[in-house]
Amino acid sequence: MSAKPAPVPSPPIAAARGVDKVFADEGGRERVILKGVDFEVRPNEVVAVLGPSGCGKSTLLRILIGLISPTSGRVEQHGEPLVGIHPGAAVVFQNFALFPWLTVEENVRVGLAGRAANAGEADARVRAALAAVGLSGHARAFPKEVSGGMKQRVGIARALVGRPELLCMDEPFSALDVLTAELLRTEVYRLFTERQTGLSSVLLITHLIEEAVFLGDRIIVMGANPGTVRKEIVNSLPHPREYRHPEFVRMVGRIHDVVTRVHLPEEEAVSAPAHGRRAETPLIPLPPARMGEILGLLEILADNGGSLDLFAVDTITEYDFGRTLTVVKAAELLDLVDTPKNDVILTELGRKVVAAPYDEKIPLLRPQILSLGTFCLVVRELARDPDTPMPAEAVKDILAASLPHVSASELFETVVNWGRAIQLFEYDAATDQLALFSGREDAAEA
Amino acid sequence: MDVVILVVVGALVAGVVGLAQRWHAPIRPTVEIDLSPRALPGYTLLSLSRGFAAYLLSLVFTLVYGTIAAHGRRAEKVLVPLLDIGQGIPVLGFLPGLVLGMVALFPRTNVGLELACIVMIFTGQVWNMTFSYIASLRSIPSELHEVARIHRFSFWKRFRTVELSSSVIGLVWNSMMSMAGGWFFLTVNEAFTLGDRDFRLPGVGSYMAVAIEKGDRSAMAWAVVAMTVMIVAVDQLLWRPLVAWSQRFRAAEVSGEREARSWVLDLVRRSSLLRRLRLRRRRLAKTPAPSAAAPPETAPGSDDAGAGFRALLLAVAGAAAALAAGLGAWKLVRLLSSVRAHDWLVLAAALSATFVRAFGALALSVAWALPVGILVGRSPAWSRRLQPIVQIVASFPAPMLFPLVTGGLLALRVPFSVVAAVLMLLGAQWYVLFNVLAGASAVPPDLVEATDVYGVAGGARWRTLFLPAVFPFLVTGLITAAGGAWNASIVAETLVMNGRTLETFGLGSLITKATREANFPLLAAGVLTMSLALVLINRLVWRRLSRLAETKYALNR
Repeated sequence: MSAKPAPVPSPPIAAARGVDKVFADEGGRERVILKGVDFEVRPNEVVAVLGPSGCGKSTLLRILIGLISPTSGRVEQHGEPLVGIHPGAAVVFQNFALFPWLTVEENVRVGLAGRAANAGEADARVRAALAAVGLSGHARAFPKEVSGGMKQRVGIARALVGRPELLCMDEPFSALDVLTAELLRTEVYRLFTERQTGLSSVLLITHLIEEAVFLGDRIIVMGANPGTVRKEIVNSLPHPREYRHPEFVRMVGRIHDVVTRVHLPEEEAVSAPAHGRRAETPLIPLPPARMGEILGLLEILADNGGSLDLFAVDTITEYDFGRTLTVVKAAELLDLVDTPKNDVILTELGRKVVAAPYDEKIPLLRPQILSLGTFCLVVRELARDPDTPMPAEAVKDILAASLPHVSASELFETVVNWGRAIQLFEYDAATDQLALFSGREDAAEA
Repeated sequence: MDVVILVVVGALVAGVVGLAQRWHAPIRPTVEIDLSPRALPGYTLLSLSRGFAAYLLSLVFTLVYGTIAAHGRRAEKVLVPLLDIGQGIPVLGFLPGLVLGMVALFPRTNVGLELACIVMIFTGQVWNMTFSYIASLRSIPSELHEVARIHRFSFWKRFRTVELSSSVIGLVWNSMMSMAGGWFFLTVNEAFTLGDRDFRLPGVGSYMAVAIEKGDRSAMAWAVVAMTVMIVAVDQLLWRPLVAWSQRFRAAEVSGEREARSWVLDLVRRSSLLRRLRLRRRRLAKTPAPSAAAPPETAPGSDDAGAGFRALLLAVAGAAAALAAGLGAWKLVRLLSSVRAHDWLVLAAALSATFVRAFGALALSVAWALPVGILVGRSPAWSRRLQPIVQIVASFPAPMLFPLVTGGLLALRVPFSVVAAVLMLLGAQWYVLFNVLAGASAVPPDLVEATDVYGVAGGARWRTLFLPAVFPFLVTGLITAAGGAWNASIVAETLVMNGRTLETFGLGSLITKATREANFPLLAAGVLTMSLALVLINRLVWRRLSRLAETKYALNR
């Protein structure tokens, strides 16, 4: 694998050309998940798709192998239009997708459906696949009797037993604990590098930068809302790869930068006075961070002298990088932090908020939040008839109309969370209705 | 344990039969049913009040019985198995005896008849409610109890803020189910006649019965409309708002998270709730509370006297119950000693006939409802369209339709012995369909994708995925359906139509006949036979299937 194949113009194993995908959410609103995605898996490569949750990377995988069809655009396999399920593909699922009523062995046999010549060959191949992932002793166990790591081994054996040319892995280690995930990652890495069974390429979906660098030859960075391919990075680190190797660390840092630039573009940092009222901002999607997380970030910064490197923040929070970025982005939107380059720095307002007891934080945060276009929109609607609560669905419809690429439900949750924190809204989960906070004036005076 | 069941069932039978024996042709006013549509709203309201009276009785019983069972460790050991018996026996078997007995108690008015009707509906409603309540009480986190003790909650405050609040969701769902099941018993009761003796009560059930007797087609249509309107109204005006309201008692409330309103999810939730209850109930019924073995908790001195008094009270109550059960059993033995050997043989033959009918009805239900349920459940669009219809149809009391279906089938020259099985199917099939639908829409999408990716298609896909995935739901549905079928046998094997009595050989018709002829030993023997058969079937078939469903075919991975 370390030797790159000669540039023979062989068609990609699977390709998406200008693919859009639009889903209807539970309120019947349309949401653009993928927009104009061009992507291909070439022979003899491990391609890692990296992106935060909700960017449509799993949807892209399902479109590539024909599990769902795109709203528009073309899907190809070996240069031909894809009809039905991709014939050479196998999938390892995030939550294993094992049949609980079948034994480990029977589960693996599912991967053979219609592919083995005869019963004898089928038996031999199932045995070989089980041995390859170290499961020979568990053949007759049921999935619920074995650990999470073992379950995913079954998933991998099931995928490999059919001798696929393309192995798709959808966040294969994210449902496992850290140690098990690391062990399995190393073993999968060995399986890739040996590639004995006719396996040509691997498509790995992940939200972890280290995982992408460890396994991927080519790393695709996706952006969210709507999901788009933002950047492609060729990872030519030699094998075997080592997490602590300086080259590896440098590559991870480089991708951190790319991801940061994708999700935290410089031009978005609105330069505004750090306190006082701001002009109403245009309608932009709110980063889906909870107010508690934002305030927690401020505390972390304050504990560290008011400034931290973005990656240091990531290490402290133990979030995945995308999540950390979301919280930082939210804090920046409220002028609580600044992010020159890769640093996160408390603003003057941010310092005040940290220093204030909780009830005094509210008047500090209130003007920041009220100046956001999204909140202006919702407050305006609610103020039309201040005594009547509004059904959540109606609010979501309004949000969806002005921000079509964002999940209206997710945005609504953020709006409610922030609005409740500054005593702006009251939300009744039982009736699913939003209203203006009735004791608002008192709180504002306090 | 089995001996206890035997004694208790025996005592019940003896008690009801004993009541009935006191029956002397009463001078009760018979009810004339007015067939004009204008009288129908009044009748419907009467039926509705009976349903609600029975429901209130069930609710009070549930709260009292459940509280006692959940608080006293020793009481629990007796009360929970008793519940299990109660829901296992064919309550309709007791109908003739109960009606005769109650009428004998109130010979000059219809009060006895009304009471019998309400008690019958109650016995159809109460079991799952009580089980749900006890299960909820048992699953209250101990921290909540500790909070109540630290802050010295009074009994009432603890009852309201801790116990009732924790069980509201389960109670509401089960109330909904119970109310739907109650209509079945209501219509049977209102239209009850025994030979030439008329025990009708004014109501929508008796209206339908008279309409059929007189062949008044428009009145039949009106009765169906009235029943449907009543069911829809109760559902929309009472249960939907209650269900929405009860959501605020959800334990794990995530702020701002939207409650999914899709019916599919509701269905799933309801069904998995049922499954969980069933599971927990089985555990409740089978194993004594683990803490029962622990030494009694040391209470401060002031509580000691109370505890002692309660223990005494419990002992007295237990002794009284045991005495009553023993007396009843003794009486039953004496009663049964006059049943001839030949009659026992007839009973056994009748049992097999009804057994074949009941399981034939179940097999037919599965034959059509399993594939249809899976196909429809797999398509969200179809499920959404069909759900309201299925829900209404499922709560429509089947006995109201018996004469219509019978008329149609007899015209096609189907023998009545087969027609009776179809009548039993009529009510039972919906439970199967409803549960399979829920199961099919709960199949995890990644498993469906796995079959897609690996080319598992057609029959192999049904064998590998759909059939195993709906199996636990199917078992739940079948258990409910079987109960319904056995109950229905008592009204389905004997039918009065156009003044003609249709009868087919079976345990149900035998019980009805024994009542009509005042053959009390035979009545007791019949009800006892059916009860024991059901307890046996429960042990041998349903328990095993449930265990299989909860272990091998459980989807929680």
